[in-house]
Amino acid sequence: MNKSVYMSITLVAVILGLVMAFQFRTTSGVDQGVPYSREQELITEKRQLERDMDQLREEAADLSAKLEEAGKGYSEATGALQSELLKIKLYAGLIPVEGPGVEVILDNLPESERPGGNPSLYSIKDDDLLKVINDLRGAGAEAIAVNGQRILATSEVRLAGNHININLTRLSVPFKVVAIGNATTLKSSLEIKGGLVEYLSDLGIAVRVESKDKIIVPAFTGGLRFDYAKPTQRG
Amino acid sequence: MKSFQWALAVVGLALGILLSFQFRITRDIQHTESVQRAQELSAQVNQMKKDYSALQAQVDTLRTKLDGATAGIGPLSPDLKEELEKAKVEAGVSELTGPGVEVTLNDSNINIRPGENPNLYVLHDEDVLRVLNEIRAAGAEAVSMNGQRLLATTEVRCTGPTIVLNRNKRLAPPYVITAIGNPDTLENSLKMKGGVAETLQFWGIQISVKKMSQVTVPAYSGGIKFEYAKAAV
Repeated sequence: MNKSVYMSITLVAVILGLVMAFQFRTTSGVDQGVPYSREQELITEKRQLERDMDQLREEAADLSAKLEEAGKGYSEATGALQSELLKIKLYAGLIPVEGPGVEVILDNLPESERPGGNPSLYSIKDDDLLKVINDLRGAGAEAIAVNGQRILATSEVRLAGNHININLTRLSVPFKVVAIGNATTLKSSLEIKGGLVEYLSDLGIAVRVESKDKIIVPAFTGGLRFDYAKPTQRG
Repeated sequence: MKSFQWALAVVGLALGILLSFQFRITRDIQHTESVQRAQELSAQVNQMKKDYSALQAQVDTLRTKLDGATAGIGPLSPDLKEELEKAKVEAGVSELTGPGVEVTLNDSNINIRPGENPNLYVLHDEDVLRVLNEIRAAGAEAVSMNGQRLLATTEVRCTGPTIVLNRNKRLAPPYVITAIGNPDTLENSLKMKGGVAETLQFWGIQISVKKMSQVTVPAYSGGIKFEYAKAAV
């Protein structure tokens, strides 16, 4: 009698355990399949991946062609190296570029027209400029410059008194931000309702966005120095 | 004895019902169309990600091979090679090692009282942007976040609880920023009085800065192609 009670309790416990495990699997299984995302997000990701893969394939084809050239002889190898250098410099921002895009002009309102009591609160800050640059990048800008200073991967935007420093160069108002990319996308990403143009205007900053057929973004003119970063040695 | 048997029978019955229900629910979930569609899509995306990494590895090998092939070129190339090396660092297409810092950012640990806006205590893209900007101002030579190299075109965007970089690279907290540069300068400029770290800590956002004698910043793992910008000569 005592034994059969134990047996049945064990049996019930085992079955209960199975049910719980099942329950758990169902829940976590659904979660893992689709993290936070819905189909739309997945489709966007898929499309972006497709575009990235195309770019990578092109890059691979380009490199293979250069590699083949390099194997042919001295002058071909130098040529291949030079064309690779040009491509890398283009990506790095060391070559002036032109193309369609937008011009964003930011200026402070005269002090008497600014809202609030403290006029300096309503002048352009480094954060505002950073946001404009970030928005343009998000909208697919390929090259950006502010008052002639090309924005590189290492460029800073920093308030220094009444000025803003970019690439350690002192810039002052009005700020002219130029960006090359799809002009419509760039313009609308800034002018979207609740977007940056609205936000900056509410802050009392004069913003004007114009799309242009041809914009020239200058190259970075400073010297590049890398004291700390070294290519990783392999092997 | 008898009542015990009865109880056992009831429990058995309940369990049976529970089990069959369970089965039905599981099957139902799997057969809902929207879930099926999402599953299918996410399977495709996963497969594409695998293909993508394979392709990336191929491009990396090709770059290394090209470096090797051009290494043997005669007198003209040392200058050219050095210029290429520097341009590669700035373009973000080579993996780099050096001294630097590791900055970890995480959402606020403050207990929000009812009625307060929880959004104020969450890490935003602009916070990350500000930290990155400070790191650049302190002379960082190469920066990456959660393994994504930061390029001249890299945007930082919040989408829900995650941050998106380099178009479609979704990162989840904690965010670990790795920067190569002078470790002391980098640490000081972040921890400066009235600096970024202090401002973020006001909102309870957790930020920690660790000086490192050696960090590695990966190369950008994607293809770069300019559709609109052409070299202006």
